[in-house]
Formats: sequence, structure tokens, C-alpha cells
Amino acid sequence: MKYFLTILLLTVFSGLAQAQEKAVIADKKMVTVAAGIYKPFFETNDSRPLMVAAFKMDECAVTNAEFLEFVKANPAWRRSKVNRLFADSNYLKHWESDLSIGKINANIYHSPVVNVSWFAAQAYCKWKNKRLPTIAEWELAGNGKPRNIKYTSLTEYILGWYKKPNPPVLPNVKTTYQNQYGLYDMHGLVWEWTFNFNSFTSKADSRGSTEDEAKAFCAAGSVKVKDKNDYAGFLRFSYRGSLKGNYCIPNLGFRCAKDIP
Amino acid sequence: MNSHIIITLFAMLMLAGCRPYAVETSGLDPLKKSVNATTEIKSKPAAESIFQLADTFQTQDGKPFNLAMLKGKPTVVGMIFTNCTYACSRLTSDIKGIADSLQGQADKVNFLLVSFDSERDHPARLKQFAGEMGLGENWTLLHGSDEAVRSLSVLLNVQYEKSASGNFSHSNMVSVLDKNGVFRFQQEGLFANHTQTISEIKDAIRK
Amino acid sequence: MKLTVIKSVLALALLASLVAGCDSSATTSTSSVAIDEIKGEETAVLTDAPNVPPPITRKHATKVIVNLDVVEKVMKIADSTEYTFWTFGGSVPGKFIRVREGDLVDFTLKNLPDSKLPHNIDLHAVNGPGGGAEATLVAPGQSARFQFKALNPGLYVYHCATGPVGMHIANGMYGLIMVEPKEGMSKVDKEFYVMQGDFYTKGKYEAPGLQEFDQDKAIQENPDYVLFNGRVRANTGANAMQAKTGENVRLFVGNGGPNLTSSFHVIGEVFDKVYVEGGDLINENVQTTVVPAGGSSIVEMKLQVPGMLNIVDHALYRTFHKGALAQIKVSGDENPEVFNKIKTQK
Repeated sequence: MKYFLTILLLTVFSGLAQAQEKAVIADKKMVTVAAGIYKPFFETNDSRPLMVAAFKMDECAVTNAEFLEFVKANPAWRRSKVNRLFADSNYLKHWESDLSIGKINANIYHSPVVNVSWFAAQAYCKWKNKRLPTIAEWELAGNGKPRNIKYTSLTEYILGWYKKPNPPVLPNVKTTYQNQYGLYDMHGLVWEWTFNFNSFTSKADSRGSTEDEAKAFCAAGSVKVKDKNDYAGFLRFSYRGSLKGNYCIPNLGFRCAKDIP
Repeated sequence: MNSHIIITLFAMLMLAGCRPYAVETSGLDPLKKSVNATTEIKSKPAAESIFQLADTFQTQDGKPFNLAMLKGKPTVVGMIFTNCTYACSRLTSDIKGIADSLQGQADKVNFLLVSFDSERDHPARLKQFAGEMGLGENWTLLHGSDEAVRSLSVLLNVQYEKSASGNFSHSNMVSVLDKNGVFRFQQEGLFANHTQTISEIKDAIRK
Repeated sequence: MKLTVIKSVLALALLASLVAGCDSSATTSTSSVAIDEIKGEETAVLTDAPNVPPPITRKHATKVIVNLDVVEKVMKIADSTEYTFWTFGGSVPGKFIRVREGDLVDFTLKNLPDSKLPHNIDLHAVNGPGGGAEATLVAPGQSARFQFKALNPGLYVYHCATGPVGMHIANGMYGLIMVEPKEGMSKVDKEFYVMQGDFYTKGKYEAPGLQEFDQDKAIQENPDYVLFNGRVRANTGANAMQAKTGENVRLFVGNGGPNLTSSFHVIGEVFDKVYVEGGDLINENVQTTVVPAGGSSIVEMKLQVPGMLNIVDHALYRTFHKGALAQIKVSGDENPEVFNKIKTQK
């Protein structure tokens, strides 16, 4: 009888463990973001609204558990092995070790992975046959209307999050809201890397590349902000402008995107 | 809200381009820049070689190229696109000026131009550009995938963005790498004073 | 005077280079500025309001190391109201920095890893791009370092200049840096640090709980709070600044804004001396002095009579309804020659 129970329990447990493992390995659900128009946040003489083709995007941020699979499969991305050029000393610093998130961190397995660099995020997406979304794609997706929360304006909602200090334990993915495309947590959980985060930023300088700008080159050109009341957008652009490719930051994660063939 | 005015003002100063200040952008270390009333100091020197970037590019002759092939000589690198009407040929001329100042030593240095424009700047176009600009044998012009170019720009601390017209807004940066691909120096801006750039290159040749 | 000339020349050179177009020769002209020899090195003593670092007794220029942390934290803005402040050094206003004219300031700005946002610093005492802002945009967990020469003596505001700038300032990102003139400052008995700022919250003045920044009110320039030293009653009652009769008191006054100009006044005292706008010009016998947003003033007064001095913004609704009050408790003997209340007999 005792044996039977033990066996039963073991079976149940291993079954659970397997289910969990499967949940991790199973392909992450991607949703389609319909084609749309993205107005660059900083307007220049040459900037026009960009047409963004429809694309697929991970429904939520990549989690610690998912990233662990990647690290297991790609030894070069282990914490002790990673090249400082591609990830600074904060890389995965919240993990217990190279290949263990850690028992004390059991509650963050399904939280977004943070403390990952742009290069690491790129490599992860590539490994999944995906890529990082561009700023235009991310912003288009991020502007999707929330469908399961009450909110007065998306900007207000986002600012509300920006103004709160980081929580001591990062919540799981899919714990904020889902938007019209079916994407979870576009705002309210972590910041996310984009492919071209190092585009023209508020700190960028002399540009003078296009014809219009060449004309304006030594006269006064001007860059203006599309919507000066879009504080949330403003803060996102400041944030991107402060980044370098090897930075690993406790509130910065990512999700992947993919072309629709 | 004053911030947009500030931004406009900043942008005006910046786009004015002439840049009486050697403005610092934070970047790859250790960067030594021309000294002014304000000087930015680089805190964590990255002793890492950018040769570790594994992506393969194509040269103006259509040959595959990866950065490790630069090993053995110091490298001066800039990022451009050939449809650019002003800034890029200016930046190229600035680098040519650096080459000229090296007199007999220019052949001990790699000169590298990498195009932002993966779509239009194929090797043949780059070769044509090299001809137009009179770039000699020690110049390599590279075409690469969007991803490879973006990765390199991130390492070189060059900002760029493709606009709806297919052209690029970008920062203008001249970087000096030592024989092993480790950063020695960066100078930002067009018509910049390259005195220090040149002395850094000469140092790199000796080491 | 010499400096002014040099500055003008520089300004002209700058202007000329902009006008002339792409001549970068102005880059080198700064090297002609006569610069004192830097001897030694020291780490700056930084203080929270209302305290001020000790006066500088050095007679030479030195390298001063300043380490300032950006801290985003929830603190009380009133007794039962909390607010998420963004701070230089963990309190509002930010740490007081004190250096000497000619010093080389070696500045490291660190943004703590727990910050949500990137920040930077623009010190009005800096001659250089963005007052340091361009060199210091730092992501959470990162730090940036730059050096500047303290060329101009005076009392200067510093603040965060990351977009949207107004919001960063409205959340408390400002402080003061005093560049003492070479000859030093006159000796006084007490020095205090008082900085005004306006705050915009979703709830009304003193509405309880954690209150969020209200963007619309900020755009309307309609603050719920106008405060000295970042909190209602930060320096009143038991927390009042302390002084004695007969003492000469100097206040380093700043205004972070983001919007309001202060009509700075001390009820029951006359400013014997005001360093107008924190510069060289001294005005005497002033009742109320203007401190613009992003500006400063140094006021001095000899305390004659014991009692509680109320520091106010004399746009008085700000004092009575929005919190703009600080106090100096003056102890000591009565001084009937200066002030004598006549007791009337019933």
C-alpha cells in the first residue's frame, strides 16, 4: 500500500514536472499585429509616417524559464562565459548560477527574463528563428487598445506604471492586461528591447544625411516631437537613448517578432 | 511644457553641425576625446575586441569578409551610405584627410567604410563609390545584412535610422581600433579636428 | 571681470563659428582660458537640506570628486500623503554641493539599479554641452562620469534634463551647487539650504495615500503643493532651523520649479544682503527677493529678536494652501531696543 502510494505520488509528480517542462519547451504563442502606420516620435524634415507590414509577435515577454533553455543550448551565453562586449557584468545576475535560476527564485520562472543585453536578446530570437521587433513594430503593437482592463487613457495607464518603483519580485508574464492584438503586458511589466533601439535619440547629434538636412546643415534645422503630450512615448525614447548594446538592466526584457511570409 | 523647446533648441544646435564643442556621446571605452570645459570620462574600459562579432559582410569586390580579417593593422572605421548627398562623402573625405596626414604610414592602416544601406549598397555600388571618392587599395567597403550592420553600429556607438524615403539619419563617427580590434579612440562629428585621431593611429601602428 | 571678457570672447567665437558655418576651430580656443593650477584632490562633502557643507578654507584650486546617486523612491510629501520622488541623493532637494572657483569637478552620476527610468544632470554652473546633461544620460544601474572646471562663482541650480524635462523636475530632481569665489565668502554664524519646488498630484493638497504626478495640472501650472525642501512642514516646528539672536544667518535659496517663480520672503526680518539671483551683485535691505524657476538667491540677515521666523513665498496662497512655509527658530534674549511689545493695561 505504502509502495503503491509512493509510486502514485512519484508518477503524479513526474507528470507535473513533465507538464511544466513541456510548457516551457512548447513554442511560444505568437499573435498577428495588423499592418499599420507608425509616426516617428521625433519628426525631422525627412520623416514621414512609416508603413509597417503585418508581423507576428510573441504574445508575452520571454521568461526566465524559456531563457534558461536557450542558455543550456548555447554555452557561449552562460553567465560565466559570456563576452563582456555583448553583455555587461549584470548579465543574468539574478540567477543562482549559470544553469540554474535557483530554488529561492522559484516565483520568477515565469516572470520576464531581465538583466539580458541586446546582443543576448538578438541571439535568443535568432535561435528561435525569430528576430527582435523594430521600434516601429513595437510602438504599433504597444499602442493596441487594452481589452480586459478599465482605463481612462493608455498614456495615463503607462505613466502610472513608470512612476512606480520596480516591485521586489517581478510578477509573471500575462499578469497585466491583454490588448486588441492578443498581446500581454506591452506596458506595465518591464521595458523591452527593440532591434533598432540605437536609432536617432534625444542625445544623438549631428545627422545631416538627407538632402533636406544637407540644405539645413549649417543653418538651423529642427527636430520636433510628434506629440509633446505623449509623455509615455517620451519616456520610452529617453530610455532607449540611454542604452548600449551590452547593458543588462533589472527592468529590461524582450519578446521576439517574426515576418509573415 | 518646455521640454519640446529644449529639444528643438538642442536639435538646432546639433543639426547646426558645426559643433564648436566636441560633444561626447557615451560610447565604447576607453575613448579619449578632445578636452573642453566639460570632459566625459570613460569609466569601464572594454578591453574586448570587436573582431568577436561573428557576422560575415561582403567587400566592394563581392568577397566575404569578417572583422577578424582586419587583425594585424590598426583600423579606422566609419559608417556611411552612398545615396547620402552630403554627410557621408564629407565623413569619407574627413577619413581621407586622416589618411593623407599619415603620409607614408597610411599603408600600415586599414580604412573601413560600412554601409547602413543593406538594400541599395551592394558591392558593385560600393566599388563605384570607392572609385568616385578615389579610395585606394587599403580601403575596404562593406555591405552586410540589416542585422550585421545594426550589430556593428551598436558596437561602434553609431546611431542610425532609416526614414520613409529610404535614406538614413545617422551620427557621424570616426573610430580607431588597434591591431587586435580593441577600441582606442572615437571622434564624433564632421569637419572634426582629427589631431588626436591621427596621433592615436600613429601610436597604434607602433604598438 | 577677466572671466567675463573670456566668456564673451568665447561666446563670440561660438557665435562666429555657427555663423561662419563649419569651422571647428573654436574647439581649441577654450585651452586659452587661464586656469589655476590644480593641487591635490578631495571628495566633496554633500548635505541634505537644510544643511550646507562647511565653507571652503582652501586658498588653491583642487580636484573635487562628486559622487551623486539618482534614487527613485516613495517618500512623504505630507503627513499622510506619499509621492514617488525622483531624487539626486535620496531626498528633495538634492544634495548640496560646494566647490571653489577654479576647482576641477570630477562628477560621477550613478543611477541606482532599481530605477525605472534613465536620468541625467544639467548643472547650471557648467560651461559645456547641456551643462553635463549630454555626458550623463544614464540607464538604471549605470553610471557616467565627466569633468568640468568651475569657472564662474555663484549659486547654481542643477536638475535632471532627461525628456520630458518638466516631469523629471516636477518629481523633485533638482538641487544646488555653490561655487565659492576665490576670495571666499564673508564669515557668517549659520548657513542653511532652502529650496522651493512646485508639485502636481492627482489628489488635492494633503489627500491621503500614494499620489501620482498629474500631467494636466503641470501643464496648467496649477500645483497642489508649493514646498520648501520637498515636504509639507519639512522644516517647521520641531524641525525648524535653529539660530540665536545676534547671529548672522545666510540662506542658500534655490527654486527648482518647474513652473513657479518665488517671491521669497522671511516674515519678521529684513535681508541685510541679497546676492541677487545668486550672482555677484549685492543688494541691501531687501524685503522680498525674486527667485526664478531654475534660479537662486543668497540672502543674509542678522537676527535681532527671538521668536519664530516664517519663511514664505509671498504669493501667499501658496503658503496658506499649498505648503510653502519653513521656519527658523531664533532663541536668545529679548531685545527691546529693536522690538518691544507694549503691554496695554486693561
